Amino acid sequence: MKIENSHTFKGISVEMLWNTLQNKEVLRGALPGCKSFEEVEEDVYDAELGINVGPVKGLFTAEVRQVEKREPEFYKLIVHGKGKPGEISASANMRLEDSEAGAILTCSADVSVTGMLASVGQRVTGGVAKLLLGQFFKDIEKEAKKIVNL
Amino acid sequence: MTTVVGTSLKRKEDPKLLTGSGYFSDDIKLPGMLHAVILRSPHAHAKIKNINVDEALQSPGVVKIYTGKDLEGKIGRIPSSWLVPDCNLKEAPQYPLAIDRVRYVGDGVAMLIAEDRYTARDALDLIDVEYEVLPPSVHQKKAMEEGASLVHDDVDNNIAFHWKAGEIPEEIFHSAEVVVKESFHVQRVAPSPMETRAAVGQYHPATGELTLYCTSQNPHIHRMVLSGVLGISEAKLQVIVPDMGGGFGGKIGVYPDEALIGYAARDLHQPVKWIEQRNEHFMASNHGRDEIIEVELAGNHDGKLTGIRVKNIANMGAYLSTMGPGVPTIDFGLMITGSYDIPHASCETFGVYTNTTPTDAYRGAGKPEATYQIERIIDLFAREIGMDPLELRKKNFAPKEAFPYTNAQGLVYDSGDYEKPLKKALEIVDYEKLRKEQEELRKEGKLIGIGLSTYVELCGFGPSAVAGAIGFQGGVWENSTVRVHPSGKVTVFAGTSPHGQGHATTFGQVVSDKLGIPMDDIEFVFNDTKAVSMGWGTYGSRSTAVGGGAVSMAADRVVDKAKKIAAHELEVSTEDLEFEKGVFKVKGVPGRERTFQEIAKAANYAWNLPEGMEPSLEGQAFFDPENFVYPFGTHIVIVEIDQDTGEIDLKRYIAVDDVGRVINPLTASGQVHGGIAQGVGQAMWEGVVYNDEGQLMSGTFMDYTMPKARFFPEIENSFTETMSPVNPLGSKGVGETGTTASIPAVMNAVVDALAPFGITDIDMPLTPEKVWRAIQKGREQA
Repeated sequence: MKIENSHTFKGISVEMLWNTLQNKEVLRGALPGCKSFEEVEEDVYDAELGINVGPVKGLFTAEVRQVEKREPEFYKLIVHGKGKPGEISASANMRLEDSEAGAILTCSADVSVTGMLASVGQRVTGGVAKLLLGQFFKDIEKEAKKIVNL
Repeated sequence: MTTVVGTSLKRKEDPKLLTGSGYFSDDIKLPGMLHAVILRSPHAHAKIKNINVDEALQSPGVVKIYTGKDLEGKIGRIPSSWLVPDCNLKEAPQYPLAIDRVRYVGDGVAMLIAEDRYTARDALDLIDVEYEVLPPSVHQKKAMEEGASLVHDDVDNNIAFHWKAGEIPEEIFHSAEVVVKESFHVQRVAPSPMETRAAVGQYHPATGELTLYCTSQNPHIHRMVLSGVLGISEAKLQVIVPDMGGGFGGKIGVYPDEALIGYAARDLHQPVKWIEQRNEHFMASNHGRDEIIEVELAGNHDGKLTGIRVKNIANMGAYLSTMGPGVPTIDFGLMITGSYDIPHASCETFGVYTNTTPTDAYRGAGKPEATYQIERIIDLFAREIGMDPLELRKKNFAPKEAFPYTNAQGLVYDSGDYEKPLKKALEIVDYEKLRKEQEELRKEGKLIGIGLSTYVELCGFGPSAVAGAIGFQGGVWENSTVRVHPSGKVTVFAGTSPHGQGHATTFGQVVSDKLGIPMDDIEFVFNDTKAVSMGWGTYGSRSTAVGGGAVSMAADRVVDKAKKIAAHELEVSTEDLEFEKGVFKVKGVPGRERTFQEIAKAANYAWNLPEGMEPSLEGQAFFDPENFVYPFGTHIVIVEIDQDTGEIDLKRYIAVDDVGRVINPLTASGQVHGGIAQGVGQAMWEGVVYNDEGQLMSGTFMDYTMPKARFFPEIENSFTETMSPVNPLGSKGVGETGTTASIPAVMNAVVDALAPFGITDIDMPLTPEKVWRAIQKGREQA
């Protein structure tokens, strides 16, 4: 399943956005349903996320890896998550670009799910993922603005 | 002398069921009963690297957890029971729980047993399984390609079997004036009975006996197979099927789950219950169909058909299920000519392993698929030569005079008169007028379609010698015992096992007529292997034709003996007696008579029996028919399609079925209605969908559309009666005719409605989106 979403961070530079996205504290606050977020080695994180996709609810333990980092324009997230309703594997290309209005972040992800997530949640997964990503972008924007205003 | 056979008695079974007084598997409560749940694979194909059960075991209330490794060598493999010969069949082993590799979403990985069902279900989430995901093979055609991931390492190209029947001389297709080709996918469907599967095991340590209550269409087959799997004497294993909410083929199979529950009950010396959840049912109960059928029909411009060549690529799923291999081969391949006298036929079937739920018999089992391809291709042939599809059918029907008729694949159809139901159906709809109306309405832009299906199907399994020849691992005869108590009340034991068909009503009518006693004096015992001598199950529309035959013969034996006793008491010879409405009368001497009840008492008291006669009044019969039965008929569907939305309105549904003698028109009509609902369901709404990773996308009733009463017009059904010569009742099968006939009838109607757009075929199910897209495409091309 392909999921794509992008957001323009008004008045925020690509560098500023990059730094915000690399800030663990910010990520912990912005990741949807994030219960814990620990760096276990460089660019590898263990996270616990509470996910609520339509009729499927559950706590997921996930390993998140950042690879192919090219500051400040690109990185890739590899996610392996596991929870009661099934497993999630995702590979997301995160692209940062400058524009007059501000930095544009484009996330294009390839996501596969198993178990109940697939058999029950599949029809809504795409929509919910987009919603969650939108939420994530807004939270990042808030955090980035806080940092800018400091 | 018939009094109740042929009348529409209300079902004896209904008051109990309708007042909530039924007794289903989940109603069973035994002292100390534990509850089992099965952990199922979330992956279509993966290696099991490790299973950690520690946390789950520590959960309060959890009693035991079994993994595949724990059970290695303790429970046998789950075998297929239909080993079709001469097709290089490779039966890959299926273990009760996967040992080191899972092969479909739903494959059992562990069984957890706890003190209550909720504890069990919650603790199941604490089992941690580490998988190494392998690439899956999902679609049968891709699974056969070089380089496809192998479901079983030693089965090359995933080909489970390659079966052929019939040969066509080269010149038939070379010299044919017209050849029409099409490929049809009769898609995968889920049987979805109202009650999911269930099992309750109870072990009796003192005697070493195991009682297994479970959902099964064939308790004696379950006993036979499971006694081998569990290593327990058939004489110590009792299988009981309580009330059961439907099967439709999905409960023929002997699954790993019943074996696991039996094993656990014996191992723990405590009763264990397992109730399948609905989402579990979607992934772990056998599916039906999933056959890709390529068909070529040869013939002449005048409509004479000369040959049919068929290739079927059947998706068998991850393992060969109980009856799985027989469905796309014997059941399908020998019936490809349908009701038509096509002199040459050949069928080639590939059974393919994939990383999906196994497929098995589903209402009609092979015959709906066979009927679909012939009834569809004959419509396409008619369009090709510009002939009315009705005319083409009539021109090629196996003629009435030819019965018993041998089809091109060698099957002998027992009896038939295909024009008879056709004529009746045409009268009901006024076909000529209908075609004219269709023409007029088309001019107004209304899309009306008329679909015909003039089917024949094979059912009533059957002669046991034939079952042996086609690789079925068992017999297919039936048995019944009619036991007359001293009061004259009767208990009838029968081998076929009802689960909604109304055996007690229809068999009761047979016995009531035979013995001349009221329906209320007759009780039945079914579904218990300890009480009933033997039985080969309820599937393939065999209960009335074969089971009813056994009941009829057993009742005849009772009458024979009773007559001898009556003659002895009345001091006449049996020839001097007539038996009418339950009374033995001396011919020509009014008042010299004995009632059936008086004889019942005399036989049981045994004070004064004919010399040498054994006491009691009981008849038992074992009936092995000489042939299958071949019901037939005509279904006509009228649809209107909204060209702006693609929605199909079922305007009328007419069914005229010839199922031989109809014992009870009400219950037979019920079977026809239900069968039609399931067939129309396949044509229009249902479909099991996997994505390319082998994930089940249609795992709930939100994603899998079941037919509902409000989707249908009133079904206008009636019968003609052409007796079968192969059983005492003259009856054929009625359980599957509706499903077999209706799938092509609906599709033919829809394609007929869309003919102005040049549309010749649409894949099932006929969702409005698919129909709308086909219309758009047709418009673009026009």
